[in-house]
Amino acid sequence: MCTRAVCALAHMLEERGFSTVAIASVRAQAEKTRPPRALWTTSQLGRPLGEPGDAPYQRRVLLAALDLLGRTDGPVILDDFIEDPPGWQDAPDWRAPPLVESGELLETPDSWAAAFGAELSALLPLWRTAQARFGRTTVGLSFQAPTAWPRFAARFLAGELPAVHELDTPALALRMLSDDIKALYGEAAQAEGPAPSAHQIDLWFWRQTVAGRLLIALRAVAMASENNALKTVGARFFVPTHWLP
Amino acid sequence: MARLEDIPQPTRDAVVAAPCPAFDTQPFVVGPPLAQRRMAIISSAALIRRGEKPFPFDSAECRFLPASAPAGDILISHVSINFDRAGFQRDLNVVYPIDRLRELAAEGVISGVAETNYTVMGSTDPAAMTMTADQIAGQLRQERIDSILLSPV
Repeated sequence: MCTRAVCALAHMLEERGFSTVAIASVRAQAEKTRPPRALWTTSQLGRPLGEPGDAPYQRRVLLAALDLLGRTDGPVILDDFIEDPPGWQDAPDWRAPPLVESGELLETPDSWAAAFGAELSALLPLWRTAQARFGRTTVGLSFQAPTAWPRFAARFLAGELPAVHELDTPALALRMLSDDIKALYGEAAQAEGPAPSAHQIDLWFWRQTVAGRLLIALRAVAMASENNALKTVGARFFVPTHWLP
Repeated sequence: MARLEDIPQPTRDAVVAAPCPAFDTQPFVVGPPLAQRRMAIISSAALIRRGEKPFPFDSAECRFLPASAPAGDILISHVSINFDRAGFQRDLNVVYPIDRLRELAAEGVISGVAETNYTVMGSTDPAAMTMTADQIAGQLRQERIDSILLSPV
């Protein structure tokens, strides 16, 4: 829905006297919202400027967008940037991070915590390599160190509603935990070698890791909860539908 | 990948069917030449500074993002699970092109980059964002910004 939002905000700010240009990821939403100027790009959702680390491509997108600011044949101007980003195909030389085999039967909260903890611990060195490679981490939404994640997740599996002081509700705490888990695994998957496609990372995460299976299990617990916020998070904001088993 | 056929279902149907606002007006502000423009970024990624609370799920708020904020301090708190974050993990410019815009300013392609940029929760109904637009406009005027790049996720 983000294309809708940026196109609508562009309209509102143009009404307030500013020149705007919106990048549109979903052309249909730009066509319906009709902002003063928009540039549709073929980049995948979440990468409106194109490929990470590809400054020349990002620059071409940006210059094409800024070029619309100089046009006088509007409103409405909706242009297309149809140069596909070079890197969104799978990278055949990428190797998924190795995973530890815990041998645990994932039947109890404690067994989930043990298996997830073992897998996570083994990935931490790779995650640190990624931080050195990219100069930062995007982990940090959950307000908890990775070492605390397995036990915190297990408490939800046990039917508890644990809270985090900095976050308003257990539902938000669980949601932010899931984002941090995915971020750490995503960064570890990109720590070395060629850049994998987003699909390669997702396929590895949701189909091969204990963490992916844990999130699917947590989703089921959240959806069965009597806590309405948790139920909503589980149903809508936890596991993409196309990755459900 | 943002060609419709590349978006997985059911997200594809949802983005096509999304109700979009219809406006009665068609504003169009013709500004100065590009080399004289001072630009700000608005990102709909619900960006936060490390240590800040995430955006609430249906928030219509806007948060100010100093252009000086280090890349390592900027996180995505958007509620949607249906867009890629791996690109942002490698390079924040795919979402928030602050470095690219600075480079264009240094080359004289544009006049300058705002001290303040802006971020909202892009899944929120835009009808709730009128006051948000007022708030952004007020700060833009204070900083003498005339042009805005809006970036979705």
